[in-house]
Amino acid sequence: MSFQATSFTRSKQRSELAARAVFLMMTLLMVVPLLMIVGYLFYQAWPILSLDFLLSNPRNGMRAGGIWSPLLGTIYLVVISLVIATPIGVLAAVFLNEYARENWFTRVINLAVVNLAGVPSIVHALFGLGAFVLFAGLGKSILAASLTLAIMTLPVIIASTKEALAAVPMPFREACWNVGATRWQTIRHVVLPNSIGGILTGVILQVSRAAGETAPIMFTGAVFYKAIKEGDLFAYGLRDQCMALSMHLFTISTQVPGVPKALPYGAAVVLLGSVLAVNALAIVVRFRLRSRRKW
Amino acid sequence: MSAEHMIEIDNLRVRYGRRDVLKGVTLNVRRNEVLGVIGPAQSGKTTLLRVINRTIDDVPDAVVRGCIKVDGQDVRQVKDVPALRRKIGMVSPLPVGLPLSIFDNVAFAPRMAGVRDRHELEARVERCLRQAALWDEVKDRLSSLGTRLSGGQQQRLTIARALSHDPEVLCLDEFSIAIDPVTTMRIEDVLKELRSRITIVLVTNLVQQARRLADRTAFFFNGDLVELDRTEAIFSETPADPRTFQYVRGIFG
Repeated sequence: MSFQATSFTRSKQRSELAARAVFLMMTLLMVVPLLMIVGYLFYQAWPILSLDFLLSNPRNGMRAGGIWSPLLGTIYLVVISLVIATPIGVLAAVFLNEYARENWFTRVINLAVVNLAGVPSIVHALFGLGAFVLFAGLGKSILAASLTLAIMTLPVIIASTKEALAAVPMPFREACWNVGATRWQTIRHVVLPNSIGGILTGVILQVSRAAGETAPIMFTGAVFYKAIKEGDLFAYGLRDQCMALSMHLFTISTQVPGVPKALPYGAAVVLLGSVLAVNALAIVVRFRLRSRRKW
Repeated sequence: MSAEHMIEIDNLRVRYGRRDVLKGVTLNVRRNEVLGVIGPAQSGKTTLLRVINRTIDDVPDAVVRGCIKVDGQDVRQVKDVPALRRKIGMVSPLPVGLPLSIFDNVAFAPRMAGVRDRHELEARVERCLRQAALWDEVKDRLSSLGTRLSGGQQQRLTIARALSHDPEVLCLDEFSIAIDPVTTMRIEDVLKELRSRITIVLVTNLVQQARRLADRTAFFFNGDLVELDRTEAIFSETPADPRTFQYVRGIFG
């Protein structure tokens, strides 16, 4: 018995090597543009980045100054939309995954959730315009825009929460029921503590989606230009219209002539940076909760 | 209410959708006896246990007909299902350590039933772990995770948890299927200790296990109760039904 390579094993080794090389190349192909985008944005935005850029309103017809007003507007929209969507989405997902029996009604709901998650954001925008701005009489306002964003993020939060709940093995639930625990006791003491990492990750990832979308807020609450009191975190009211980073970026890149080049890049860096920071937070949360994983 | 019978089952029929799983089973379990339940796979043994503690409610399209009484009460009329389940300890085939500490695994059921007192919980956890022959192995690490124990230890943890709510009936469903023979024998010793105080329904895929432990043995086949008799009679040369003889001798099944 010897371990000499036959021609068959040699050809296997060659294809193994080729496969590895191809997969590695694809991975690099994916990483390189990402690094180039980030690098290029920072390079272009470098001269303008400062604390003052963050904390001062756009000035001089948006050709100078900072991004305070759109930055605060985006924060308002994201926070309010998630405050609305998270409890509804998480509780609905708990119902669908833990209480609902499989029947035509829950099947229709599940189908609706999946399909709503795939609806283009511009359609949500039109719905928000009709339902919140006009029908509910909220007018173009932060509240109407946040509600529209909430409707947009809701199905994704439901889907990701359901997935996190379903990852908790069924025998754990059955063991709890067998010893006389109610459904809610089982959820509260065993299911939720073991799925909270996945649930939070799903919610946090929606932050970046809500922050980045332009279409849903364009008709429902975002404005071209609005100056607010600098340094005041409560400068916007719920019924006010606001500026938003994503839309501001679009405006100063395409709608206003004579904007210094660094300005849109600065806005882009802040938008990208905050999204990356939030995603990094999601990774940290997931990692910490997974390291405590108990089975 | 019958003083003699802990569980009375009268003409129990269960269907899952269109499939008949139990086809009219009538049997009684006497107080403080060990009833062995044997029979090949798909004969309805597990379904019988699920009916007793109402976990059948969670099986979609299960239809239950007939009368099942536990301690004189019709289980299908029970309003407080958790209270019914606390009367019955259930041990499933595969060991399930909850993702909690060993202590919390055993304290879970009492806590859910409203016991808050730390001393009472500690006393109960120790008693149940001792009864399940696990105390000596885990007493120094009660705060470590139940899911990190070995399979055999987790099955004893499961038994300790099943005893933690002071059940009057202990149902075991093929408890030895995933554990080694030595642990199996230890758990059998545990059951011999318990038999004087508690009613035990022992569903088992090992016919010799029923022979070793059961006072009476029921042979299920294909949804029917073929025969229920004293264990010696079932394992004798002349049980009432020839299929019983063939099954316990390993000729079919």
